[in-house]
Amino acid sequence: MSLVYPNGTRALDSIDLEIGKAEFVFLVGHSGTGKSSLLKLLYREVVPNSGEVYVDDVRVDTLRRSRVARLRRNIGVVFQDFRLLSDKTVWENVAFALQVTGARSADVKRQVPRVLDLVGLSHKSRMLPSELSGGEQQRTAIARALVNNPKIMLCDEPTGNLDPSNTTEIIELLQRINLKGTTVLVATHNQAVVDRMRRRVVRLENGRILHDDERGYYFRGLGQNPVLSG
Amino acid sequence: MDWGRIRFFLGEVGTNFTRNATMQITAIGTVAITVVLLGTFLFVRDTVAAFGQGILSKIEIAVYLKDDVDDKRAQAIGAQLARDERILGATYVPKREGLNQMRERLGSDFDTSLLTANPLPNAFRVRVRNPDDVPAVAASIEPIAGVAKVDFAADTVTKLLHAADVLARVGLGMIALLVLTAAIIIANTIRLTVFARRREIAIMQLVGATNMYIRMPFIAEGLVAGVVGAAVAIGLLAIARVELVPKIAAMLSFVPLQANEPQIALELLAVGAGVGLIASWVSVGRYLRV
Repeated sequence: MSLVYPNGTRALDSIDLEIGKAEFVFLVGHSGTGKSSLLKLLYREVVPNSGEVYVDDVRVDTLRRSRVARLRRNIGVVFQDFRLLSDKTVWENVAFALQVTGARSADVKRQVPRVLDLVGLSHKSRMLPSELSGGEQQRTAIARALVNNPKIMLCDEPTGNLDPSNTTEIIELLQRINLKGTTVLVATHNQAVVDRMRRRVVRLENGRILHDDERGYYFRGLGQNPVLSG
Repeated sequence: MDWGRIRFFLGEVGTNFTRNATMQITAIGTVAITVVLLGTFLFVRDTVAAFGQGILSKIEIAVYLKDDVDDKRAQAIGAQLARDERILGATYVPKREGLNQMRERLGSDFDTSLLTANPLPNAFRVRVRNPDDVPAVAASIEPIAGVAKVDFAADTVTKLLHAADVLARVGLGMIALLVLTAAIIIANTIRLTVFARRREIAIMQLVGATNMYIRMPFIAEGLVAGVVGAAVAIGLLAIARVELVPKIAAMLSFVPLQANEPQIALELLAVGAGVGLIASWVSVGRYLRV
Protein backbone atom coordinates (compact mmCIF):
# COMPACT_ATOMS: atom_id res chain seq x y z
CA MET A 1 0.00 0.00 0.00
CA SER A 2 1.37 3.44 -0.95
CA LEU A 3 0.39 7.01 -0.28
CA VAL A 4 1.51 10.08 -2.21
CA TYR A 5 0.23 13.49 -1.13
CA PRO A 6 -0.96 15.93 -3.82
CA ASN A 7 2.22 18.01 -3.40
CA GLY A 8 4.22 14.99 -4.53
CA THR A 9 5.49 13.91 -1.11
CA ARG A 10 5.78 10.15 -0.98
CA ALA A 11 4.45 9.59 2.55
CA LEU A 12 4.21 5.82 2.50
CA ASP A 13 5.82 3.42 0.08
CA SER A 14 4.89 -0.24 -0.39
CA ILE A 15 3.72 -0.71 3.18
CA ASP A 16 2.51 -4.21 4.06
CA LEU A 17 1.42 -4.41 7.67
CA GLU A 18 -1.06 -6.50 9.58
CA ILE A 19 -2.07 -5.81 13.18
CA GLY A 20 -4.06 -8.39 15.12
CA LYS A 21 -7.01 -7.96 17.40
CA ALA A 22 -6.12 -6.65 20.88
CA GLU A 23 -2.48 -6.08 19.95
CA PHE A 24 -0.42 -3.21 21.36
CA VAL A 25 1.88 -1.76 18.70
CA PHE A 26 4.40 1.08 18.80
CA LEU A 27 4.99 2.92 15.56
CA VAL A 28 8.41 4.60 15.70
CA GLY A 29 10.60 6.59 13.38
CA HIS A 30 11.82 10.11 12.68
CA SER A 31 9.42 12.96 12.11
CA GLY A 32 8.05 12.86 8.59
CA THR A 33 8.58 9.14 8.05
CA GLY A 34 4.87 8.51 7.66
CA LYS A 35 3.71 7.49 11.14
CA SER A 36 0.84 9.98 11.19
CA SER A 37 -0.02 9.18 7.58
CA LEU A 38 -0.32 5.51 8.46
CA LEU A 39 -2.75 6.35 11.27
CA LYS A 40 -4.72 8.68 9.00
CA LEU A 41 -5.17 5.88 6.48
CA LEU A 42 -6.79 3.77 9.17
CA TYR A 43 -9.41 6.32 10.16
CA ARG A 44 -9.92 7.34 6.56
CA GLU A 45 -8.56 10.85 6.84
CA VAL A 46 -6.59 10.05 3.67
CA VAL A 47 -6.86 7.29 1.08
CA PRO A 48 -3.91 5.44 -0.44
CA ASN A 49 -2.92 5.93 -4.07
CA SER A 50 -2.45 2.23 -4.43
CA GLY A 51 -3.14 -0.78 -2.31
CA GLU A 52 -5.87 -1.64 0.16
CA VAL A 53 -6.60 -0.77 3.79
CA TYR A 54 -8.76 -2.98 5.98
CA VAL A 55 -10.02 -2.22 9.48
CA ASP A 56 -11.91 -4.98 11.23
CA ASP A 57 -12.39 -6.78 7.87
CA VAL A 58 -13.96 -3.68 6.32
CA ARG A 59 -12.17 -2.22 3.34
CA VAL A 60 -11.59 1.39 4.32
CA ASP A 61 -9.96 2.97 1.28
CA THR A 62 -13.01 2.49 -0.95
CA LEU A 63 -15.53 3.18 1.78
CA ARG A 64 -18.41 5.43 0.76
CA ARG A 65 -18.43 8.82 2.47
CA SER A 66 -21.64 8.03 4.26
CA ARG A 67 -20.00 4.97 5.83
CA VAL A 68 -16.96 6.80 7.15
CA ALA A 69 -18.87 8.03 10.22
CA ARG A 70 -19.70 4.44 11.17
CA LEU A 71 -16.05 3.41 10.75
CA ARG A 72 -14.87 6.22 13.00
CA ARG A 73 -17.20 5.22 15.82
CA ASN A 74 -15.14 2.05 16.01
CA ILE A 75 -11.87 3.95 16.17
CA GLY A 76 -10.74 6.23 18.98
CA VAL A 77 -8.10 8.78 18.00
CA VAL A 78 -5.82 10.69 20.38
CA PHE A 79 -3.42 13.47 19.38
CA GLN A 80 -0.37 15.15 20.84
CA ASP A 81 -2.26 18.45 21.22
CA PHE A 82 -5.31 16.85 22.93
CA ARG A 83 -7.81 18.73 20.74
CA LEU A 84 -10.27 19.45 23.52
CA LEU A 85 -12.96 22.10 23.25
CA SER A 86 -11.83 24.89 25.54
CA ASP A 87 -15.32 26.19 26.34
CA LYS A 88 -16.62 22.80 27.43
CA THR A 89 -15.98 21.03 30.71
CA VAL A 90 -14.32 17.63 30.97
CA TRP A 91 -17.74 16.00 31.18
CA GLU A 92 -19.05 17.99 28.19
CA ASN A 93 -15.98 17.22 26.09
CA VAL A 94 -16.46 13.50 26.63
CA ALA A 95 -20.25 13.63 26.30
CA PHE A 96 -19.86 15.61 23.05
CA ALA A 97 -18.44 12.56 21.27
CA LEU A 98 -21.56 10.59 22.17
CA GLN A 99 -24.06 13.40 21.60
CA VAL A 100 -22.90 14.18 18.08
CA THR A 101 -23.38 10.55 17.11
CA GLY A 102 -27.00 10.92 18.17
CA ALA A 103 -26.70 8.90 21.37
CA ARG A 104 -29.67 8.86 23.74
CA SER A 105 -29.21 10.98 26.84
CA ALA A 106 -29.60 7.89 29.04
CA ASP A 107 -26.56 6.38 27.27
CA VAL A 108 -24.62 9.61 27.74
CA LYS A 109 -25.39 9.57 31.47
CA ARG A 110 -24.21 5.96 31.71
CA GLN A 111 -21.13 6.01 29.46
CA VAL A 112 -19.50 9.31 30.44
CA PRO A 113 -19.04 8.45 34.16
CA ARG A 114 -17.75 5.01 33.16
CA VAL A 115 -14.90 6.36 31.00
CA LEU A 116 -14.15 9.25 33.35
CA ASP A 117 -13.77 6.68 36.11
CA LEU A 118 -11.54 4.57 33.87
CA VAL A 119 -9.17 7.50 33.20
CA GLY A 120 -9.41 8.66 36.83
CA LEU A 121 -11.01 12.04 36.23
CA SER A 122 -14.40 11.61 37.88
CA HIS A 123 -13.57 14.26 40.44
CA LYS A 124 -12.63 16.83 37.79
CA SER A 125 -15.58 16.39 35.45
CA ARG A 126 -16.80 19.96 35.96
CA MET A 127 -13.44 21.56 35.20
CA LEU A 128 -12.47 23.27 31.97
CA PRO A 129 -9.44 21.97 30.03
CA SER A 130 -7.50 25.13 30.93
CA GLU A 131 -7.77 24.18 34.61
CA LEU A 132 -6.17 20.76 34.03
CA SER A 133 -2.57 19.58 33.77
CA GLY A 134 -1.32 18.29 30.42
CA GLY A 135 -1.67 14.71 31.60
CA GLU A 136 -5.23 15.31 32.73
CA GLN A 137 -6.07 16.95 29.43
CA GLN A 138 -4.74 13.94 27.57
CA ARG A 139 -6.70 11.61 29.85
CA THR A 140 -9.81 13.63 28.98
CA ALA A 141 -9.01 13.18 25.30
CA ILE A 142 -8.55 9.44 25.86
CA ALA A 143 -11.88 9.29 27.69
CA ARG A 144 -13.48 11.00 24.72
CA ALA A 145 -11.88 8.52 22.34
CA LEU A 146 -13.08 5.63 24.50
CA VAL A 147 -16.64 6.69 25.12
CA ASN A 148 -17.95 5.16 21.89
CA ASN A 149 -16.40 1.79 22.89
CA PRO A 150 -14.02 1.64 19.95
CA LYS A 151 -12.31 -1.57 18.93
CA ILE A 152 -9.17 0.33 18.01
CA MET A 153 -7.29 3.22 19.64
CA LEU A 154 -4.96 5.27 17.44
CA CYS A 155 -2.59 7.54 19.34
CA ASP A 156 -0.46 10.06 17.47
CA GLU A 157 2.37 11.16 19.81
CA PRO A 158 0.05 10.98 22.84
CA THR A 159 2.86 11.87 25.24
CA GLY A 160 4.66 14.38 23.05
CA ASN A 161 3.61 17.35 25.21
CA LEU A 162 3.89 15.62 28.58
CA ASP A 163 6.53 15.35 31.30
CA PRO A 164 7.90 11.87 32.25
CA SER A 165 5.47 11.21 35.12
CA ASN A 166 2.44 12.20 33.05
CA THR A 167 3.86 10.13 30.19
CA THR A 168 4.01 7.05 32.39
CA GLU A 169 0.45 7.69 33.54
CA ILE A 170 -0.86 7.89 29.98
CA ILE A 171 1.01 4.83 28.76
CA GLU A 172 -0.21 2.80 31.73
CA LEU A 173 -3.73 3.94 30.94
CA LEU A 174 -3.35 2.85 27.33
CA GLN A 175 -2.05 -0.48 28.55
CA ARG A 176 -5.12 -0.96 30.77
CA ILE A 177 -7.34 -0.12 27.82
CA ASN A 178 -5.45 -2.67 25.73
CA LEU A 179 -5.95 -5.34 28.42
CA LYS A 180 -9.72 -4.83 28.08
CA GLY A 181 -9.38 -6.06 24.49
CA THR A 182 -8.92 -2.84 22.53
CA THR A 183 -6.28 -2.80 19.83
CA VAL A 184 -3.87 0.07 20.58
CA LEU A 185 -1.56 1.64 18.02
CA VAL A 186 0.81 4.32 19.36
CA ALA A 187 3.01 6.50 17.15
CA THR A 188 5.79 7.87 19.35
CA HIS A 189 9.24 9.33 19.62
CA ASN A 190 9.57 8.33 23.24
CA GLN A 191 12.38 5.82 23.44
CA ALA A 192 12.08 5.28 27.21
CA VAL A 193 8.44 4.28 26.95
CA VAL A 194 9.00 1.91 24.06
CA ASP A 195 12.00 0.23 25.64
CA ARG A 196 10.28 -0.23 29.01
CA MET A 197 7.09 -1.68 27.57
CA ARG A 198 8.69 -4.30 25.30
CA ARG A 199 5.80 -4.54 22.88
CA ARG A 200 5.64 -4.98 19.14
CA VAL A 201 7.62 -2.17 17.52
CA VAL A 202 7.23 -1.17 13.86
CA ARG A 203 9.92 1.22 12.68
CA LEU A 204 9.21 3.39 9.64
CA GLU A 205 11.86 5.14 7.61
CA ASN A 206 11.21 7.23 4.51
CA GLY A 207 7.74 5.81 4.25
CA ARG A 208 8.86 2.17 4.36
CA ILE A 209 8.83 -0.40 7.13
CA LEU A 210 12.44 -0.75 8.28
CA HIS A 211 11.75 -3.47 10.79
CA ASP A 212 8.87 -5.02 12.70
CA ASP A 213 9.75 -6.77 15.97
CA GLU A 214 7.70 -8.63 18.55
CA ARG A 215 8.80 -7.37 21.99
CA GLY A 216 11.08 -4.86 20.29
CA TYR A 217 13.14 -1.86 21.28
CA TYR A 218 13.09 1.71 20.01
CA PHE A 219 16.43 1.08 18.31
CA ARG A 220 16.81 -2.48 17.13
CA GLY A 221 19.44 -4.35 19.13
CA LEU A 222 20.36 -1.33 21.20
CA GLY A 223 17.50 -1.60 23.65
CA GLN A 224 19.52 -3.01 26.51
CA ASN A 225 22.08 -0.24 26.26
CA PRO A 226 21.44 1.67 29.48
CA VAL A 227 22.68 4.95 28.04
CA LEU A 228 20.41 4.92 25.01
CA SER A 229 17.39 3.42 26.72
CA GLY A 230 17.34 6.33 29.13
CA MET B 1 -39.01 12.19 23.06
CA ASP B 2 -35.48 12.43 24.38
CA TRP B 3 -35.23 15.88 25.93
CA GLY B 4 -31.51 15.55 26.54
CA ARG B 5 -30.94 15.10 22.82
CA ILE B 6 -33.22 17.99 21.87
CA ARG B 7 -31.58 20.21 24.46
CA PHE B 8 -28.13 19.35 23.10
CA PHE B 9 -29.22 20.13 19.54
CA LEU B 10 -30.79 23.45 20.53
CA GLY B 11 -27.65 24.23 22.50
CA GLU B 12 -25.58 23.65 19.37
CA VAL B 13 -27.82 25.98 17.35
CA GLY B 14 -27.59 28.55 20.15
CA THR B 15 -23.80 28.28 20.18
CA ASN B 16 -23.74 28.84 16.43
CA PHE B 17 -25.85 31.92 16.89
CA THR B 18 -23.75 33.50 19.59
CA ARG B 19 -20.42 32.70 17.91
CA ASN B 20 -20.73 35.68 15.57
CA ALA B 21 -23.61 37.66 16.90
CA THR B 22 -22.88 40.82 14.91
CA MET B 23 -22.91 38.93 11.62
CA GLN B 24 -26.08 37.21 12.73
CA ILE B 25 -27.73 40.55 13.43
CA THR B 26 -26.65 41.77 9.99
CA ALA B 27 -28.23 38.70 8.42
CA ILE B 28 -31.45 39.11 10.37
CA GLY B 29 -31.51 42.84 9.56
CA THR B 30 -31.08 42.20 5.85
CA VAL B 31 -33.85 39.64 5.85
CA ALA B 32 -36.04 42.07 7.80
CA ILE B 33 -35.43 44.92 5.34
CA THR B 34 -36.08 42.64 2.39
CA VAL B 35 -39.26 41.31 3.91
CA VAL B 36 -40.50 44.80 4.86
CA LEU B 37 -40.06 45.90 1.25
CA LEU B 38 -41.62 42.71 -0.03
CA GLY B 39 -44.55 43.18 2.34
CA THR B 40 -44.99 46.79 1.29
CA PHE B 41 -44.85 45.70 -2.33
CA LEU B 42 -47.48 43.02 -1.79
CA PHE B 43 -49.72 45.51 0.01
CA VAL B 44 -49.34 48.14 -2.71
CA ARG B 45 -49.84 45.53 -5.38
CA ASP B 46 -53.06 44.34 -3.77
CA THR B 47 -54.23 47.92 -3.39
CA VAL B 48 -53.37 48.87 -6.96
CA ALA B 49 -55.02 45.70 -8.20
CA ALA B 50 -58.16 46.51 -6.22
CA PHE B 51 -58.09 50.12 -7.39
CA GLY B 52 -57.52 49.11 -11.00
CA GLN B 53 -60.23 46.50 -10.70
CA GLY B 54 -62.53 49.21 -9.38
CA ILE B 55 -61.91 51.40 -12.41
CA LEU B 56 -61.95 48.59 -14.89
CA SER B 57 -65.16 47.15 -13.52
CA LYS B 58 -66.85 50.46 -14.31
CA ILE B 59 -65.74 50.41 -17.92
CA GLU B 60 -68.67 49.81 -20.18
CA ILE B 61 -68.92 48.81 -23.76
CA ALA B 62 -71.28 51.01 -25.73
CA VAL B 63 -73.07 49.11 -28.46
CA TYR B 64 -74.78 51.46 -30.94
CA LEU B 65 -77.52 49.99 -33.07
CA LYS B 66 -78.33 50.87 -36.65
CA ASP B 67 -81.29 53.24 -37.13
CA ASP B 68 -83.35 50.63 -38.96
CA VAL B 69 -83.28 48.21 -36.02
CA ASP B 70 -86.72 47.94 -34.53
CA ASP B 71 -87.57 47.24 -30.88
CA LYS B 72 -88.09 43.56 -31.51
CA ARG B 73 -84.70 43.15 -33.11
CA ALA B 74 -83.15 45.24 -30.28
CA GLN B 75 -84.67 42.83 -27.75
CA ALA B 76 -83.21 39.88 -29.64
CA ILE B 77 -79.78 41.49 -29.53
CA GLY B 78 -80.20 42.13 -25.80
CA ALA B 79 -81.08 38.46 -25.27
CA GLN B 80 -78.06 37.40 -27.27
CA LEU B 81 -75.78 39.61 -25.15
CA ALA B 82 -77.30 38.21 -21.96
CA ARG B 83 -76.33 34.70 -23.07
CA ASP B 84 -72.63 35.59 -23.16
CA GLU B 85 -71.15 34.38 -19.87
CA ARG B 86 -68.45 37.05 -19.86
CA ILE B 87 -71.08 39.77 -19.77
CA LEU B 88 -72.32 40.91 -16.39
CA GLY B 89 -75.26 42.87 -17.74
CA ALA B 90 -76.54 44.78 -20.73
CA THR B 91 -78.79 47.78 -20.29
CA TYR B 92 -80.88 49.02 -23.21
CA VAL B 93 -80.69 52.78 -23.67
CA PRO B 94 -83.26 54.01 -26.26
CA LYS B 95 -82.27 57.12 -28.17
CA ARG B 96 -84.67 59.32 -26.19
CA GLU B 97 -83.11 58.34 -22.87
CA GLY B 98 -79.64 58.64 -24.34
CA LEU B 99 -80.33 62.25 -25.17
CA ASN B 100 -81.64 62.91 -21.66
CA GLN B 101 -78.49 61.40 -20.18
CA MET B 102 -76.37 63.54 -22.42
CA ARG B 103 -78.24 66.65 -21.36
CA GLU B 104 -77.67 65.79 -17.74
CA ARG B 105 -74.03 65.12 -18.29
CA LEU B 106 -73.23 68.20 -20.32
CA GLY B 107 -75.66 70.56 -18.65
CA SER B 108 -75.82 74.07 -20.08
CA ASP B 109 -72.73 73.59 -22.25
CA PHE B 110 -74.90 71.96 -24.83
CA ASP B 111 -78.14 73.48 -26.01
CA THR B 112 -80.30 70.58 -27.21
CA SER B 113 -83.00 72.92 -28.35
CA LEU B 114 -80.88 73.60 -31.39
CA LEU B 115 -81.33 70.01 -32.47
CA THR B 116 -84.03 69.43 -35.07
CA ALA B 117 -83.92 65.69 -34.51
CA ASN B 118 -82.35 63.26 -31.99
CA PRO B 119 -78.95 62.37 -33.49
CA LEU B 120 -78.31 59.52 -31.04
CA PRO B 121 -78.86 55.90 -31.99
CA ASN B 122 -80.47 53.28 -29.77
CA ALA B 123 -77.76 51.62 -27.71
CA PHE B 124 -76.81 48.96 -25.16
CA ARG B 125 -74.48 49.62 -22.26
CA VAL B 126 -72.64 46.39 -21.61
CA ARG B 127 -70.73 45.68 -18.40
CA VAL B 128 -68.19 42.88 -18.46
CA ARG B 129 -67.51 40.48 -15.60
CA ASN B 130 -63.69 40.43 -16.04
CA PRO B 131 -62.08 43.67 -17.25
CA ASP B 132 -59.45 41.67 -19.14
CA ASP B 133 -62.21 40.42 -21.44
CA VAL B 134 -63.37 43.88 -22.53
CA PRO B 135 -61.54 43.98 -25.89
CA ALA B 136 -62.55 40.41 -26.76
CA VAL B 137 -66.20 40.93 -25.83
CA ALA B 138 -66.30 44.12 -27.86
CA ALA B 139 -64.88 42.28 -30.85
CA SER B 140 -67.46 39.53 -30.52
CA ILE B 141 -70.35 41.99 -30.41
CA GLU B 142 -69.28 43.92 -33.49
CA PRO B 143 -70.39 41.35 -36.11
CA ILE B 144 -73.91 40.96 -34.67
CA ALA B 145 -76.52 42.02 -37.27
CA GLY B 146 -77.97 45.41 -36.49
CA VAL B 147 -74.97 46.64 -34.56
CA ALA B 148 -73.60 49.85 -36.05
CA LYS B 149 -70.63 50.49 -33.83
CA VAL B 150 -68.99 49.19 -30.69
CA ASP B 151 -67.12 51.60 -28.49
CA PHE B 152 -65.14 51.23 -25.29
CA ALA B 153 -62.32 53.03 -23.53
CA ALA B 154 -59.82 50.82 -25.28
CA ASP B 155 -56.82 52.89 -24.45
CA THR B 156 -57.61 53.21 -20.78
CA VAL B 157 -58.20 49.51 -20.38
CA THR B 158 -55.08 48.35 -22.15
CA LYS B 159 -52.91 51.02 -20.55
CA LEU B 160 -54.10 50.18 -17.07
CA LEU B 161 -53.58 46.48 -17.64
CA HIS B 162 -50.16 47.18 -19.05
CA ALA B 163 -49.16 49.54 -16.22
CA ALA B 164 -50.19 47.02 -13.57
CA ASP B 165 -48.18 44.36 -15.38
CA VAL B 166 -45.04 46.53 -15.62
CA LEU B 167 -45.34 47.54 -11.98
CA ALA B 168 -45.55 43.92 -10.93
CA ARG B 169 -42.54 42.96 -13.03
CA VAL B 170 -40.31 45.78 -11.80
CA GLY B 171 -41.33 45.14 -8.21
CA LEU B 172 -40.69 41.44 -8.48
CA GLY B 173 -37.30 42.06 -10.09
CA MET B 174 -36.26 44.35 -7.26
CA ILE B 175 -37.45 41.92 -4.66
CA ALA B 176 -35.64 39.06 -6.36
CA LEU B 177 -32.43 41.08 -6.05
CA LEU B 178 -33.10 41.81 -2.39
CA VAL B 179 -33.86 38.18 -1.66
CA LEU B 180 -30.62 37.23 -3.36
CA THR B 181 -28.72 39.77 -1.22
CA ALA B 182 -30.28 38.41 1.96
CA ALA B 183 -29.41 34.88 0.87
CA ILE B 184 -25.78 35.80 0.20
CA ILE B 185 -25.47 37.47 3.60
CA ILE B 186 -26.95 34.46 5.37
CA ALA B 187 -24.67 32.15 3.41
CA ASN B 188 -21.69 34.24 4.43
CA THR B 189 -22.76 34.22 8.06
CA ILE B 190 -22.96 30.44 7.96
CA ARG B 191 -19.51 30.33 6.42
CA LEU B 192 -18.14 32.40 9.29
CA THR B 193 -19.84 30.14 11.81
CA VAL B 194 -18.35 27.10 10.11
CA PHE B 195 -14.96 28.77 10.38
CA ALA B 196 -15.49 29.76 14.02
CA ARG B 197 -16.47 26.20 14.87
CA ARG B 198 -13.92 24.33 12.80
CA ARG B 199 -12.42 22.68 15.90
CA GLU B 200 -15.77 21.28 16.95
CA ILE B 201 -16.48 20.18 13.40
CA ALA B 202 -13.11 18.40 13.19
CA ILE B 203 -13.85 16.57 16.42
CA MET B 204 -17.35 15.68 15.30
CA GLN B 205 -15.90 14.18 12.13
CA LEU B 206 -13.27 12.36 14.13
CA VAL B 207 -15.66 10.69 16.54
CA GLY B 208 -18.00 9.62 13.75
CA ALA B 209 -20.83 12.14 13.66
CA THR B 210 -22.78 11.73 10.43
CA ASN B 211 -22.64 14.49 7.81
CA MET B 212 -26.31 15.22 8.35
CA TYR B 213 -25.76 15.57 12.07
CA ILE B 214 -22.88 17.99 11.57
CA ARG B 215 -24.86 20.04 9.08
CA MET B 216 -28.17 20.28 10.92
CA PRO B 217 -27.22 22.99 13.46
CA PHE B 218 -25.88 25.19 10.67
CA ILE B 219 -28.96 24.76 8.55
CA ALA B 220 -31.13 25.40 11.59
CA GLU B 221 -29.07 28.55 12.19
CA GLY B 222 -29.91 29.88 8.71
CA LEU B 223 -33.54 28.91 9.11
CA VAL B 224 -33.75 30.75 12.44
CA ALA B 225 -32.09 33.86 10.94
CA GLY B 226 -34.63 33.86 8.10
CA VAL B 227 -37.64 33.31 10.34
CA VAL B 228 -36.54 35.86 12.95
CA GLY B 229 -35.83 38.42 10.21
CA ALA B 230 -39.26 37.84 8.69
CA ALA B 231 -40.93 38.03 12.11
CA VAL B 232 -39.22 41.37 12.83
CA ALA B 233 -40.38 42.64 9.43
CA ILE B 234 -43.94 41.45 9.98
CA GLY B 235 -43.94 43.25 13.33
CA LEU B 236 -42.78 46.48 11.67
CA LEU B 237 -45.36 46.11 8.91
CA ALA B 238 -48.09 45.49 11.45
CA ILE B 239 -47.17 48.70 13.26
CA ALA B 240 -47.14 50.59 9.96
CA ARG B 241 -50.51 49.08 9.07
CA VAL B 242 -52.04 50.33 12.31
CA GLU B 243 -50.30 53.71 12.49
CA LEU B 244 -49.73 54.80 8.91
CA VAL B 245 -52.34 53.28 6.65
CA PRO B 246 -55.37 55.11 8.15
CA LYS B 247 -53.57 58.42 7.56
CA ILE B 248 -52.78 57.52 3.97
CA ALA B 249 -56.34 56.34 3.51
CA ALA B 250 -57.58 59.70 4.73
CA MET B 251 -55.40 61.49 2.19
CA LEU B 252 -56.22 59.18 -0.70
CA SER B 253 -59.88 58.69 0.00
CA PHE B 254 -60.60 57.61 -3.55
CA VAL B 255 -58.14 54.70 -3.34
CA PRO B 256 -59.51 51.66 -1.56
CA LEU B 257 -56.67 50.48 0.70
CA GLN B 258 -57.26 46.81 1.00
CA ALA B 259 -55.13 43.70 1.15
CA ASN B 260 -55.33 40.22 2.57
CA GLU B 261 -53.01 40.88 5.51
CA PRO B 262 -52.97 37.46 7.22
CA GLN B 263 -52.12 35.82 3.92
CA ILE B 264 -49.37 38.36 3.21
CA ALA B 265 -47.91 37.75 6.70
CA LEU B 266 -47.81 34.00 6.08
CA GLU B 267 -46.23 34.50 2.66
CA LEU B 268 -43.57 36.75 4.17
CA LEU B 269 -42.78 34.23 6.89
CA ALA B 270 -42.47 31.52 4.27
CA VAL B 271 -40.14 33.71 2.19
CA GLY B 272 -37.92 34.39 5.23
CA ALA B 273 -37.77 30.72 6.20
CA GLY B 274 -37.16 29.67 2.59
CA VAL B 275 -34.31 32.14 2.06
CA GLY B 276 -32.65 31.12 5.34
CA LEU B 277 -33.02 27.43 4.64
CA ILE B 278 -31.79 27.48 1.04
CA ALA B 279 -28.91 29.88 1.74
CA SER B 280 -27.59 27.88 4.68
CA TRP B 281 -28.06 24.58 2.85
CA VAL B 282 -25.99 25.82 -0.06
CA SER B 283 -23.40 27.42 2.22
CA VAL B 284 -22.97 24.33 4.36
CA GLY B 285 -22.62 22.26 1.23
CA ARG B 286 -19.86 24.53 -0.04
CA TYR B 287 -17.93 25.34 3.11
CA LEU B 288 -18.45 22.29 5.29
CA ARG B 289 -16.46 19.67 3.48
CA VAL B 290 -17.32 16.54 5.34
